[in-house]
Amino acid sequence: MDFITKELMTKIQWLAAVLVCTILLSSCNTLSPTQIVTKSATSAIGPTIAPIVIVDGLGHEITLKKTAQRILSLAPSNTEILFAIGAGDQVVGRDSFSDYPQEALALSDVGGGFGELNTEAIVSLQPDLVLAAEITPPEQILALENLGMTVFALKNPVEFEELFNNLKTVGVLTGRESEAQILSDALLSRLQVVESTISAANGHPLVFYELDVTDPNAPWTSGPGTFIDTMIRRAGGENLGSALQGFWIQVSLEELIRLDPDVIILGDYTLGGVTPEMVAQRVGWEGLKAVKEGHVYIFDDNLVSRPGPRLLDGLEAMARLLHPELFK
Amino acid sequence: MKIGFRNHPFLVNLSLLAAALLLSAAAGPVFIPPGAVSRILADQLPGIALQQDWPQAFETILLRIRLPHTALMALAGAALASSGAAYQGVFRNPLADPYLIGVASGAGLGAVIAMSIRWPAEWRGLYPIPLAAFIGAVLTIALVYSIARVGQTLPTTTLILAGVAVSSFATSLTSFLMFRSTSELRRAIGWMLGSSVLTGWEPFLAALPYAVIGMGALVISGHALNVLQYGEEQAQQLGLSAERAKALILVAASLTTATAVAFTGIIGFVGLIVPHFVRILWGGDYRRLLPLSILGGAWFLLMADLLARTLLAPQVLPVGIVTALAGAPFFLWVLRSAKGQAFW
Amino acid sequence: MLEINSLTVNFGKFTALDKVTLDVNPGEVLAIIGPNGAGKSTLIRAASGVIPSRSGSICIGGQDMKGLSTSERARYLAVVPQARSLPPAFTVYQTILLGRTPYLGWLGQTKAQDHFLAQQSLERVELGKLAERRVSELSGGEQQRVLLARALAQGAEVLLLDEPTTHLDLHYQALLLNLIRRLVSENNLSVMMALHDLNLAGLYADRVALLVGGKIQASGSAKEVLTEKNLAGVYNMPVHVIPHPEYGTPLILPDGHGMTVSH
Repeated sequence: MDFITKELMTKIQWLAAVLVCTILLSSCNTLSPTQIVTKSATSAIGPTIAPIVIVDGLGHEITLKKTAQRILSLAPSNTEILFAIGAGDQVVGRDSFSDYPQEALALSDVGGGFGELNTEAIVSLQPDLVLAAEITPPEQILALENLGMTVFALKNPVEFEELFNNLKTVGVLTGRESEAQILSDALLSRLQVVESTISAANGHPLVFYELDVTDPNAPWTSGPGTFIDTMIRRAGGENLGSALQGFWIQVSLEELIRLDPDVIILGDYTLGGVTPEMVAQRVGWEGLKAVKEGHVYIFDDNLVSRPGPRLLDGLEAMARLLHPELFK
Repeated sequence: MKIGFRNHPFLVNLSLLAAALLLSAAAGPVFIPPGAVSRILADQLPGIALQQDWPQAFETILLRIRLPHTALMALAGAALASSGAAYQGVFRNPLADPYLIGVASGAGLGAVIAMSIRWPAEWRGLYPIPLAAFIGAVLTIALVYSIARVGQTLPTTTLILAGVAVSSFATSLTSFLMFRSTSELRRAIGWMLGSSVLTGWEPFLAALPYAVIGMGALVISGHALNVLQYGEEQAQQLGLSAERAKALILVAASLTTATAVAFTGIIGFVGLIVPHFVRILWGGDYRRLLPLSILGGAWFLLMADLLARTLLAPQVLPVGIVTALAGAPFFLWVLRSAKGQAFW
Repeated sequence: MLEINSLTVNFGKFTALDKVTLDVNPGEVLAIIGPNGAGKSTLIRAASGVIPSRSGSICIGGQDMKGLSTSERARYLAVVPQARSLPPAFTVYQTILLGRTPYLGWLGQTKAQDHFLAQQSLERVELGKLAERRVSELSGGEQQRVLLARALAQGAEVLLLDEPTTHLDLHYQALLLNLIRRLVSENNLSVMMALHDLNLAGLYADRVALLVGGKIQASGSAKEVLTEKNLAGVYNMPVHVIPHPEYGTPLILPDGHGMTVSH
């Protein structure tokens, strides 16, 4: 590449130097965001007496003067958690994807998705707590904080234990600690039931969890470190994607044929309407063991991708699929 | 078109801008009665303190969301339209727009790189993503410029080709990064479609100095652009240092565009169409075309943004979609009215 | 007075102009003739400084053009290019006014003096009635006159014209060249004009220079340069030269009858 001359390199260095100076000069931001943060010692979950001080999923220390009574949920999982612990009456607004439970649909919709959140509507709702998730872009969070709102971001759980912690955290924020604890315990026992049931299993079927098949020669699946990976494992299976790298992975059809999973779970049934019949018609897929033996199942993706209480529903459903003989 | 319309370009455009500013401030997903709007605004003036008979939410919405957003959109529209006019002048090509030599793709790449390494939305008073976008745009332009330069000259054809090549490369790289960092995908797409999610006056104030300097440099370059219309050689023979003038104008236009893109994402159509609209109605003299494009770009983008915010409330459309959809028929109507007069 | 001394221009290994030496006195018209690709346009471009020269000098009125800024140079020397794809949106007057650029700042602010001179140039080329018309609406001959007026507005003592009669019919050719002759004597200009039409060169130029392959092969009066021997060699075909019935200047009659492609 003969255009990368010394002349050019010098120019780029000079340019970089100018920009560094510009960066330093433009670091005058006189108006700082009005965030309510106290400088007390950090701890995972503070005492349940007002004021409430908790470090959220982004590492920000959030303080509430009292339990939240006007909550805005920015993720469907958050909405499900809030209603599940009995805090449904304390929620004043939701994002447009929140559709469970039924009662959530009656709440004010503030937009979301690839479009922007309706910041004006959010301001009119005057929430005392905004419950965000990992899917909420940092710019949205910053925008809301700049308007004086308290934003608490829940981190996506990777293990069930983290889910239970999230439940308890939301319990503290809403003053529903006891309901959260009860729910958490109930979910834990369901988890333990599943675990003990499948401990009697002989073998872990190899599972291919299909996320998207826009390209039938290279379907998408979940890799290690995702909750789907965790769930498959806890349901007594082995995630085909766990041997690969990355969170969302494209697997070539050839690789899929080579690995020949025992079970194919169609997560893309929920949004894409993909059925086992359609899978059987895909060129090259008919030779797969799972297709030949009829181990291709539709699945409600919301039960695995929304980090809320229904993850246990998902776990139970998946365990039943993978080890039907143990769940009579 | 009435004769009066044609004879008072600045009056017409200033009036349209004032109307657009007012409408933009008054309208939005949440309805605020006009009476409240005027009282809240009046209360802000020094020396006036009214009894607060409006909900605090109205005040927050108007002063911290709508007015800053209006100001930023007006600034971005002005920046894009004036840069577009300047690019069209330098390249002597009616199809030139401010993204021709890579500003948009460079900015997009910068922003997506920053997002893929998880830069925060704010850091010690700076906005890392807009900054990364700005740096990306500047580096891309510098690269294109260096590739295209032949000795002391900057042949326009080479510049366009180099710009297209580098743009395509940057865009592919951006797509690849988005493909790899699927967790940041939503954030990246949101940014690219053209939005200003950030609230408060800070983004506007951060963009203001760069945009003003850039547009100022463009406005005073009207005469030089007129002379450049005859080609570099004739311009040189007429006594203008053509290559230096071209470089200066391109740098000013590119920086202005980079500033707009850094804060409002990639909004198309404004930079291409507004200058033509001004040309058809008020002629191609760049000394007038540039300031009129500033005004025209501001009100045009404000109106498009207003539609984007209110058409499908509570959903907010990306403004880039509205500019294309609304702009095309609008422009065709103006073109028809020009009745074949040479305006280029 | 224009003095071009030993001007050499290279494009890579190719020598476009080889030690060209010419001069043009005030009140004089020098026609540069030669076959296609001889370097006529290159000569004009090099003389006006838009392409660099390997060696040689260009002096106007004793002032060496090297080292002058672009705008200073434009006050000494103006170029009338061919009227091709002019920006259509400007009016005749606006175009002529741009000729004042060497005297205007970056902002292009004009003074009364600039307007006066532009108006004067407009009238000298007899386009007064078309001042507010857009250039795109004019005929080829009128457009060429606009460019001539623009060059006049520059107030330079040297005028270079690059084949100004191309695309013009007989009427406009004569009109333009007569106009140029008149302006030359009225303003005492030094004019160097590239022409492809040999007969026009003979009729309207005081002196003629024959440029072939970048070299001046012959220069002098029209009678001296436009000879059968010179031209036949240069254009590779027989020609007849007869005197003009009224003015006595050389008229060239080509005799290419029977020429084949494989010549």
